[in-house]
Order: sequence, then C-alpha cells, then structure tokens
Amino acid sequence: MKARLILATTLIPLGLIIAAVPENTTKPYKLTADQLLEEVKSGTQFLQPDEVAEMVISKDPTLQLIDVRAADEFEKFSLPGAINIPLVDILSPEWEETINQDVKMNVFYSNGTNDANQAWMITRQLGYQNNYVLQGGVNYWAETIMNPEVPPTTSPNEEMAKYDLRKGAGMALGGAAETTQPVATAAGGGAKPPIQKKEKKKKVAGGC
Amino acid sequence: MGPLIVNEIISENTNLFLAFIIGIGFGFVLESNGFSSSRRLAGMFYGYDTTVLKVFFTAAIVGAIGLLFLSLFNWIDLSSIYINPTYLWSTLGGGVIMGAGFIMGGYCPGTSFCAASIGKIDALAFIGGMFIGILIFTEGYPLWEGFYNAKFMGSPVISDMIGASRGFLTFLVILAALGMFWVGEWAEKKFAREDYKLNQK
Repeated sequence: MKARLILATTLIPLGLIIAAVPENTTKPYKLTADQLLEEVKSGTQFLQPDEVAEMVISKDPTLQLIDVRAADEFEKFSLPGAINIPLVDILSPEWEETINQDVKMNVFYSNGTNDANQAWMITRQLGYQNNYVLQGGVNYWAETIMNPEVPPTTSPNEEMAKYDLRKGAGMALGGAAETTQPVATAAGGGAKPPIQKKEKKKKVAGGC
Repeated sequence: MGPLIVNEIISENTNLFLAFIIGIGFGFVLESNGFSSSRRLAGMFYGYDTTVLKVFFTAAIVGAIGLLFLSLFNWIDLSSIYINPTYLWSTLGGGVIMGAGFIMGGYCPGTSFCAASIGKIDALAFIGGMFIGILIFTEGYPLWEGFYNAKFMGSPVISDMIGASRGFLTFLVILAALGMFWVGEWAEKKFAREDYKLNQK
C-alpha cells in the first residue's frame, strides 16, 4: 500500500510534467558536408548483390528496390519487385513518402553504381534514412547473380558456398520478374549464409 | 548525445560488456522479486499474485519517463532508438503461444533461466521445451514463412497513431498502470489461495 503511494506521488507529477512540455524535436535534420563525407568514406550505404538477392528470394517485406534508371530501361529489365523512380524525378513530391520513411529498406540501383549513389547522396543530404545502394548495380548483378563464375575446384569452401548461393539465386530469379519459390529453397544446399541486414539501429533482444 | 552505440561513443565490445552487466542486474531483479517461482508467475493468470504485472509495469513507466526526460534534456535522440518492427499477425500469434506457455509452464523465457540457475528442475524442462520450439520453428520455417512476414507495418508507435504526444500517452499509461496495480491487489485478496502466501520465501 505504502509503496504504491510513493510510486504514485513520484510518477504522477513527473508524468504531468512530461505530458505538459512540448516534445523535443530538435534533431539534425540535414547533414553537414563533413558528416556526409564521413558517410561516403565509410561506404555503409552499399549493399552487396548477394545480400539483396537473399532478401529478394526470401521475399523480405522490408525490402523496396528502387530503379533510378530511365523508364524505358526499367521497362526492358528490372529486378523483381522494383519500382521506377528515375534519378531526375528523385525530388518530385510524388515520391517523397517512398523515399523519406522509416518502414522499409530502400535499395537504389542503376546500371552501374553511380546514378544510384547520386540518388542516395541527395536523399541522405536531406536527412532521409533507410536508403541504400546496390553495389555495382544491374551490371554487377547480372555478372554475379545471373551468371556466376564457377570458382576453381581448389577454392575454399566459402567460395563454393557463395557460388552455390549465387547459382541458386540466379535460378530462382531467372532473369524474369517473377520468382519461383521451390527452386529458391531447393538450391543452395543449406549453405545459405544468414541475411545480413545493415541496420543503423541496434537490435536489442528484450522481453522477460 | 545518446544512444551511445549508434553514435559510436562506445564500441561494440563495450556495448556487449554493458549488456552483460545489465543482464546480471536484470536477472538479479527477477530473482529478488521471486520470479523464479512458477507459482508466482502463474498467479498472474489466476489472479492470486500480480507481482509480475506490478514489477514490469513499474519498470515500463519508469523507463518511459526516464527516456522522455533524457530526450527533453537533449541527452538522447529518441529517433535513433531501435523499435522492434511490427509484423502484426506473427506478433499476435507469438503472443498467444507465449501466453499459453507462460500459463502452462509457469515461466517465460528469461525467468526459466533465472529459475534454472537456482536449480529448479521444472525450469530445465521448460528450457528444453523452448529449444524444441526453436527447432520446430527453424526446421519448419518454409511452412510459416508467409504468416511470419505478413502484415509488416514498420515501427508504428501508438502515440503517432492516435495523434497524441509521447508525453501525454506516457501520462495515460502511468494512470492506467496505477489503476491496474490497485485492481491487481484487489484480485490478490479476492482470489487468494490458502496454500499460497504472498512474498513467501
């Protein structure tokens, strides 16, 4: 009984104070040039094709691929589930909700790395989060995922596992926009590395 | 300005070390509150012992107020705090499974380790069951993959959904918690058991 009184007399006034004061919304919204340079140097925005392929195959709902190439290129070939936001339209208000959000993991891609990286820099400078770049773009994707090179038989196990994964991914994604699930699960021979999501925010294992 | 690890004020290893210390503290608080007694935990469901509710709600509201005050003083950036993303259906499903296990086994994952560490056999059985569950989940993953990933909602927070400030919502939660403590202590009297004494050693 007494403990509850002490608790109530402490927490209720504190709660009242916190309810009454305006929320602290001062946060660095835009990055300074120095901060942006730091991020560019560390290259944390890049995702390897293997990581992205894993997410595509496992139908990870948090992944949103964004094709920043022109619409006609997008029509010809696109990665599964991608949406098209040409680089020139990146600031259009139509797409703001897609790019500035805290729900999904946006992955920009272009033919190479350049255009996608430019898209990332623009959005990053605006302070947007959760945007990433597919390393090497479509070209490197085709090279590694669609037509992986067979490593020499003397390669270490990791190399072979990587090749198996890529072969499986390539088969599953099949160049077409549709993924075929059975192939995805059959291939890889249990050698699939866990999906490595790049998360700025650290996950804490909680609960009692 | 915190959080420490996100802003690289402390290293990953220091973070792990702090987690270790906090983990020991957590275990200590669980044990000193008698959470290694399955009767106490199951009492939450039957109403004869609501310590679980009181301890965890106290922790939650103290933590909430603490975070909001730290944010008010600019010592922590709340937007950098990791919020578990919500996958609605698997959250609900997991809640039901966890709740059922809680009532039947008299432990939740953390307290089962707490109880095992003081040598309780039933806790060891509970932990065994937990590993069987993990095995079934991982080996049968393709079966429930769709359910597991369904209705992804990002990391919504209730205060945004109802359009209230975080502070106001916290205040409401404090009032609700104190109300529940009152109801809980009423229930402890109402559903008291002859063979169970509150805070028994």
